[in-house]
Amino acid sequence: MSERSRTVATVALIAAMALALFLLISTDPVSVDRVEEIGARIKCPVCQGESIGNSPSPMAEDMMALVTERVASGVPDEEIIDELLSSYTGALLLDPPTSGSTLVLWVTPLLALGIGIGVIVWWKRHPGSPAETGKEQTPRSRTRLLVGGLVLVSAFAGIVVVAANSLQDRVAANSGVADLGDQDLSDVSNETMEAVIAANADNPQVNGMRLALAERYFDLGDYRSAFPHYLVVAEDVAASPNQAITALVRLGWMAFDGNGEVETATRLLDEALAIDPRSDAALYVKARVIWCGSGETEEAVAIFEALLADPELPEETRTQVESDIALAGDGESCQ
Amino acid sequence: MSGRVLRWVALGVVSAAIVFAVVLASRFGTDPGLVDSPLIGQPAPGFDLEYLDGSGSVSLDDLDGEIVVLNFFASWCFECREEHADLVATSESFAGEGVSFVQIGYQEDPQASLAYLAEAGTSAATSYLADPGSRTAIAYGVFGIPETFFIDPDGVVVGKIIGEADALILGGTIDSIKRGEQPGQQITGDTQQSPDA
Repeated sequence: MSERSRTVATVALIAAMALALFLLISTDPVSVDRVEEIGARIKCPVCQGESIGNSPSPMAEDMMALVTERVASGVPDEEIIDELLSSYTGALLLDPPTSGSTLVLWVTPLLALGIGIGVIVWWKRHPGSPAETGKEQTPRSRTRLLVGGLVLVSAFAGIVVVAANSLQDRVAANSGVADLGDQDLSDVSNETMEAVIAANADNPQVNGMRLALAERYFDLGDYRSAFPHYLVVAEDVAASPNQAITALVRLGWMAFDGNGEVETATRLLDEALAIDPRSDAALYVKARVIWCGSGETEEAVAIFEALLADPELPEETRTQVESDIALAGDGESCQ
Repeated sequence: MSGRVLRWVALGVVSAAIVFAVVLASRFGTDPGLVDSPLIGQPAPGFDLEYLDGSGSVSLDDLDGEIVVLNFFASWCFECREEHADLVATSESFAGEGVSFVQIGYQEDPQASLAYLAEAGTSAATSYLADPGSRTAIAYGVFGIPETFFIDPDGVVVGKIIGEADALILGGTIDSIKRGEQPGQQITGDTQQSPDA
């Protein structure tokens, strides 16, 4: 056999194999049954690479039953497939579409085949490549080849890693059940907070949200809704003493302001002061309760003055305390 | 062929291989279950399903004008069990606030779903429905469970949670719909495709 004949035979063999491969992967299974034909084109959503026609999974069976029903009703094949794709996306098609970004999947193998055949033909017609002539590569050309190869391999690895990472990021960006510990609650509704608290009733981490919700209710004067949340926070001193103090102070004020219960209010405020005897909030509210509820002005003024002795007292509170002392000193009733 | 031409051909082939690999890595490495649902922004597929105990039925039309939280669950799904208390709490918290919760049994006999709910607890404000033949699950493109869809008062699918959802995510999504936003798709964790998956 001549050189030319061998070349033609080689090219013909490669082309035949490529054609067979192409037909194998692109042709639907021979079937006269429309249901099976459609079933063979749709990927089972709960399986690994199986069609709904081949999968034994119950979901695939349900989808085949739907296809059967649609076929029996006279719905055209493409409409049935479109119905499924409208809810599952094109990812449900076993053959990627020959358009858009998946076109490259169809074109690249054919392109590579064409280039390969071209190279073989060219090589055969133009003998004298460095390998055939035995012409030795210089150290410089070998270095160039090595550097070029390394650059290509690095670029390839880099691109794959970047692509994989971007996929990972896309998933990670949307992932994660929310952490209860540190949340911006400004956009969170009372209903959502109630739901989170109810679902995490035994989790101390939710106390911050409890307190924030209770404060919302307190600010609206809705003591009934605030009460149970303050109570839980107040009873869990170990989880957060500061939160417990805030809750006890609020409970104390609510007992006095809502029900006029001076004794209960004083007891709750003393509980807060037992945790932190220097708590400005507890001292101030206790003084107000004593002044307004019991009318014991002197005791109230003594507490107010003790508050003023605190160099770290916020300016706003200091102004209020000074005003209260002046009123109490003049024998005025509390306001 | 000269060495120079050979190098160019090799470069071309390698470049084509790189393009091919990138397409594979970026597109076909994606779990189809994580692809954005084509239903987002579209009218929600209708349904008319019976309660698990067969005591009546509920259709999407019955819930017109409300935010609908549509969750697919099953007793064999571990993640569903994890999120169940949060679904119950959120449903009860938003009761009477223009929000309806619907939980649909997925790939399961209604009696098995009922037995599970008897153990896990229910919300009086949630409709627990059966889906014979998985028609509603197919219409919503369910890949695995739990999956939770959010439908706005105009009947448009505006959100989807893939994986376990907690009360903060559920409530936060409802809050954002109430503000007129379209929360879109969130992936919070794994899903389960079948009892033996």
